[in-house]
Formats: sequence, C-alpha cells, structure tokens
Amino acid sequence: MKANKIPIGPFHPLLEEAEYFELTVDGETVVDIDMEIGWMHRGHEYISEMKTFTQSIYVVERICGICSTSHPIACVHAIEDIDNIEIPLRARYIRTLVGELERIHSHLLWIGLAGHFIGYDTLWMWAWKYREPVLEMFEIISGNRNHYGMMRVGGVAKDIDPGKITELYKHLDMIEKKMVMVAKVVRDDPVLRSRFKGVGVLTHEAAVAYCATGPTSRASGVPWDVRRDEPTDAYDLVDFEVIVLPNGDVYDKAVVRVLEVIESGKIIRQCLEKLKTAQGSILNNVKEISPGEGIGRYEAPRGEVFHYIRSDGTNRPIRHKVRAPSFVNIPTFTASCKGIPIADVLITLAAVDPCYCCTERSIKVIDQKHGSQPIDLLKSSREKTERIRREIHGN
Amino acid sequence: MAEIEQFLKDMGGKITNKIEKKKRLYFNVTNDDLQDIADYLFNKMGCRLSTATAMEMYHGIEILYHFSLDKTGQYFCPRIVIKDKKNPKVNSISSIIEGAIWIEREIFDLLGVEFIGHPRMEELLTLHHPGTVKQPLRFREGA
Repeated sequence: MKANKIPIGPFHPLLEEAEYFELTVDGETVVDIDMEIGWMHRGHEYISEMKTFTQSIYVVERICGICSTSHPIACVHAIEDIDNIEIPLRARYIRTLVGELERIHSHLLWIGLAGHFIGYDTLWMWAWKYREPVLEMFEIISGNRNHYGMMRVGGVAKDIDPGKITELYKHLDMIEKKMVMVAKVVRDDPVLRSRFKGVGVLTHEAAVAYCATGPTSRASGVPWDVRRDEPTDAYDLVDFEVIVLPNGDVYDKAVVRVLEVIESGKIIRQCLEKLKTAQGSILNNVKEISPGEGIGRYEAPRGEVFHYIRSDGTNRPIRHKVRAPSFVNIPTFTASCKGIPIADVLITLAAVDPCYCCTERSIKVIDQKHGSQPIDLLKSSREKTERIRREIHGN
Repeated sequence: MAEIEQFLKDMGGKITNKIEKKKRLYFNVTNDDLQDIADYLFNKMGCRLSTATAMEMYHGIEILYHFSLDKTGQYFCPRIVIKDKKNPKVNSISSIIEGAIWIEREIFDLLGVEFIGHPRMEELLTLHHPGTVKQPLRFREGA
C-alpha cells in the first residue's frame, strides 16, 4: 500500500499551541513522524542578555504560563551557582512550597486535558475544578494566580504571613482528599484504561537515547528526578518518593503524574509545618555576581528545566541558555508514535504534556469471558465514578 | 568523588583547562577527541546529555556540553572552542546520542555552527520562517 502524508498543524483547530506534525501513514498505521517547531520562538535567551540578573528572572517567568515558577527557580539556581550563594532556611521552604504547588496545578491541568482529548470531559471538568483551589493558594501566598514573582537571587521576594498558614492548610486538606479520588479514577477507570494502556509506548532504551526527562522518562523506568538527585532548596529536608513505573505507555505517564500530585501534597504539608518554626530572613543581600559560569536546574512538572548563565562581573548575563523539558521530550515521538494507529497519535503526543487537543473517540468491546455481551465502557465508567464519589463522600 | 577520579584517570590525557566546582567539572577538549569523550560519558558512565550551550566570544565560538550524571547530581561539561568564526564546524555527537539531534540543529540555527556527520543539518526554529534574522545569537555591528 502506498504511504500517505497527514499534516497536523501548525495552526489547526485541534491544536492549542502552534506546532506542526507530519505523519507518514500506511493505511491506519503510522510509519514515520516528522516534527517542526519555531512558531512560538520569541528569543527569550537574547532578551535575557539585555536585562539585569534580577530582570532576567521576570523574563524567564514568562516563558511558560504553566511552569512559571520552574524557570525562575532554575534561573536563580544558575546565578547562585556562580558564587555558591547560600539562601536562608525559611526561603528554602517557601521556594519548595511554591514549586510543588505548581506541580499540582500543572499535573491537574494535564489530567484534565488528557480526559478532554479522548472525549472524557467529566474528568476534564473535575480535574480543573480541583485545580482552582491550588490557584487560590497561589493568590494567598503571592497575590497572583499565575506569574508569582516569588524568586530572587539569594532567597524569595515575599514571606508567607503566619496567619495565612491556617487558610493554606484548609485548601490543602481539601485538595489532598480530592487527589486521592482523582488518582483512583485515573488508575481504575475502564475508559481511561482502555484508551491509555499499552498506547504509545516509549521504551526504557528510547527514553535514555533521547535524554528524556520528567514523567515522560520516569514512566519508562528511568529513575531520575532532580529534586532527589541534586537536592536544592528544601528537598533534602523533606520526605517524598520518586514515582517510577516500567511500561512507558500513556497509562503509566498518567499514573506517574497523579501519584506525583499526592507526593507534592505531602511535601507542601511538611513545608507548611516547618514554616511555623523556621523564622528569620527570607533573602540574603547579594550585591554583585562574580565573573564565572553557573548551572541551575529544577524538576519542573514536565521534567528538568535547565539554565546556564555566564557572567563577566557586570550586572547582566553575557549568555543565558534555557532548555525546557519539552525540548528533549518532544523528539521521543519518533520512537513512541511509529507503528501505532492514527487514532492513538494525538493522545500519545499529549502524554508528553505539551498542550493540544485530541479527537473524541468511543468504542464498544465484546467481553470474551462472558460470551458476546457487549460492555458499554461509558456506562461502566459512569458507574465507577459514581461508586468512587460515594466512597469519598459517604452518601 | 570516585566517578570524577575514574573519568580523569581514563580521559585525563584528552582534557585541558579543568575547572572543578561543587558538583561541576568544566574542561576543554579538542574536536578530534569530542566523540570519544561523549561516548565515554554517555555510554560508559551513563550520563544524560542535558543540553549544549553555544556562545560567541571574542576568541571564537564556544560549545559547552552539559552531561548530567544523575545518580550523583554531578555535571561534566566538555567545552569546544572553534577559532574559525567565519566557517565554524565541529564533529556531531548525534550518532552517539540521539538526543543531540535537535540540540545541534538549534545551535546551527542560532549561531551557524555546522555539525559534521549530523543526519539533518538544517534550521530547527527558523526553518519555514522567511524574514527572520539568520543566526540571531552572532555578534553584529550595531546590535
């Protein structure tokens, strides 16, 4: 059969960001995929080199609207790495707290979108509903629901009022309870299982070869997490587990994320507890940056954010390199999309956590164990969701 | 640290200008030795290539590779300095590390460094964007 090309994007009603994918298909099977990027290129590295070190933090905060604190954290780590600048204990807990809140809201955003991509809008609305209190926590802490402006070289910009900690606990209690429910839905729901399990497998070898990071690689059994491997801020002072799963399919990527959300809740609880007693300054006074070079990184929700800064002793970086996790995760599509049906491509692309939509799909299957009785997956899913809801709420 | 000692023992003859900081090792390598160093770090030591940073300096174009040894949090950063700024070329490591394909294409796009042996040496960010400034991170008069 003759191979055909199917273009997706760059500007397409189903894509939420401008990217271009060209599928080569043989019938329903994808035999090759080509990717093109550049429509979102804004020259941040060049702009940053025109700004002072402090202004650069604000510039990189605007690289991504979702992980808008991961880039600033990696940026200040890179600057602090030049002079081995220490930061106060209280600031370490605040940085960790903000970073983990961001992980929860980003993963919830992805879980909702993943549901939406496969036409499961109930999951989308639930996940985004429970993301809302996380944004309210950001507002309590920083005054902003996004772009928090919290990071500074040598510490953080704003302290957390002790009187607000009780309010943050209330939100956290509710979020943690709901996250247990969402985790159950993602792990056990028959619709999600049938659409995610065994789909778009990224093998361990391919994840290593493409240098993938974050949940994309941890779902393929690659056990690395910057928070544990090179602990900065308060990550060496809190207990948490790095979630690693072996199969590399969309299902494992989803489960890694929902379990990470629960771990983030544990970290936030520990940080809030420590903030009650860890008093003192939140910002060391850093007057100048020496000539030299520094590497800063942070485990963003999508994987390792990497910043490299070279200083010549003035108040501006002479080189500021930024590498976002999607830059190394998107090329893994070459490995994960070949050989799968066209209908599975978009959820496979989405599993890496860039933002774009997918087409709706619903199927019916025959239960071989019980003869030819068809199973209505949608009905089954609704029953399961209702049962979990009753378990949580007790009615 | 044992990994650094072993690396220096095996590859010490191929590196110069070593700068050691806390969990960071920067060093210079020649173009001829780059692939050997990349192969050792990636295949023998199990490092991951985070990315590579290219920058134009007065003495040439520098390419600094960032290899992360994730089990210890240690970075190994080989640095290549290309003196010929008019026609910069360096050996590609994409045959050793598939993850380097986009990294090298981005450097080619933004600074015009050609990677010898790269399977697809063309722009990554400005490929189909007519009118964009070519090699935007190179020095320009008046910039």
